[in-house]
Amino acid sequence: MELMETLQSHGEQTALVHGETTYSYARLVDRIGEYEKLLQESGVQQGDVAALVGDYSFETIAMLLALHLHRCIIVPVTSELQSEQRQRFEEAFCRLAIFMTPQPRIEKLSCGDTHPMIEKLRQARRSGLVLFSSGSTGKPKAMIHDLDRLIAHYENKRGKRLYMLLFLLFDHIGGLNTLLNALFMGAAMVVPPSREPEAVCALIERYKIRVLPSSPTFLNLLLISGMPERFDLSSLRMITYGTEAMPESLLKRLKSAFPKAKLLQTFGTSETGIAATSSKSSESTYMKLDDPNLEHRIVEKELWLRSGTQVMGYLNASMESFTEDGWFKTGDLVEEVGDGYLKIIGRSKEVINVGGEKVLPVEVESLLLQMPEVEDVMVHAAANAITGQSVAADIVPAKPTDAKSLKKAVRRFCKGKLEGYKIPTKVQVVEKTNFGGRFKKMRCE
Amino acid sequence: MNEKIEKIIITVLQELGEELEKESLENPTAQTRLFGGRGVLDSLALVSFVTDLEDAIDEELGQSVVLADERAMSQKTSPFRSVETLRDYIAGLLDG
Repeated sequence: MELMETLQSHGEQTALVHGETTYSYARLVDRIGEYEKLLQESGVQQGDVAALVGDYSFETIAMLLALHLHRCIIVPVTSELQSEQRQRFEEAFCRLAIFMTPQPRIEKLSCGDTHPMIEKLRQARRSGLVLFSSGSTGKPKAMIHDLDRLIAHYENKRGKRLYMLLFLLFDHIGGLNTLLNALFMGAAMVVPPSREPEAVCALIERYKIRVLPSSPTFLNLLLISGMPERFDLSSLRMITYGTEAMPESLLKRLKSAFPKAKLLQTFGTSETGIAATSSKSSESTYMKLDDPNLEHRIVEKELWLRSGTQVMGYLNASMESFTEDGWFKTGDLVEEVGDGYLKIIGRSKEVINVGGEKVLPVEVESLLLQMPEVEDVMVHAAANAITGQSVAADIVPAKPTDAKSLKKAVRRFCKGKLEGYKIPTKVQVVEKTNFGGRFKKMRCE
Repeated sequence: MNEKIEKIIITVLQELGEELEKESLENPTAQTRLFGGRGVLDSLALVSFVTDLEDAIDEELGQSVVLADERAMSQKTSPFRSVETLRDYIAGLLDG
């Protein structure tokens, strides 16, 4: 069944719970219709590239689907920083931005340029989706998906009436995956007021949430917070985790805290979509990719994927991470452990993974270099037991100073210019940064 | 020793409070809840707090401790519950 037909068939079932308000699927269908009309009346054309700015809400989801039906190319943006928003608008050739606050405010943007891949979608009258991933050159890579094809992948899901938490953000392939799964299953989605353990646990207890899609860092914080003792979380049947490596010790603690829940590793990339996976057991970090839609191979320990839902290409970067015959080099290093099971052992790229949020060292470095106090800087990952990794900066100061005051200055400078997780937690004063023979900064932990 | 550690924790909290412009961190006491249930720190602040505190202990006491490691995470009651529990946990680490 197609998307709208499916949504209609869910009728009065609950689609979304946000704060004290509950919205049915019928209401969602109505709102999508209203927004389609609004788009039309505002002169939004089929094939226009539209940024959709906001976090999950009934309105945002309705607008996302209205844009899809209107055959637009959608660029979801959840960042609240204006500089970051503008950068994304530019990289994706956005003609308009829709700010959901939560009512829509449509702003026309002065972008006269376009891209051959955008034109291709426009001519085929198909909707598109632009996602960003961390490249290695400082700018986030904008990639474009054929959204019709991506959505078709979720059709024919079996209906299931259960409550799911919308934990991952909707500008992220994992978040969209939760959303599309829920819409096709007719599940009830619950929007958390914050992504702090207490708020999340209160909702799990109140709505008897069955599925919690999350990340190892969040699950770690959940255990540290002591909330599982204060709230009844026995409704949880499935906890999925992705976006970063799962430490085995954490998995063990989770299993004993949630004996009834199945712990499942999810795996996906913005480039290829989310794969159906199975974990060897709930105590195991071994997983199997069993998705008829996805082929994989391992080349020099690196996992390569090829899927039916992969991107058309990048709008602002070369296709060097793809081979000519369409394999995507994930940058994830894996080990084959027998019976077709894989174990993720790390990343081959220089990305810092702070609790699943990817940080490019170059981005932080280029900002820090703007500080008068900083002569040179190298940003790298520091091991962190809470978030797996955190951002550390080795700084050659312009004038003699101590690490403590430099750290204060760095944090003050970065506030409001970088998302919180990108701001260095550790600052060290060094005499010179660690350059390799090829004048490439050697980043190590 | 306990007093000294508590003082360090409180100073680090106040400095972090200034940085994050959080009034709830102006006057912490031994009973101040840190993380989880009415705690003053959110997830991101906890990460900064832990690194700041490790640095401060190194600086003030000349001893390096790792506060966020497997051992801390797998305690039955998290050491990050309150200033008091954290103080006792650090004292234990320094003794051992």
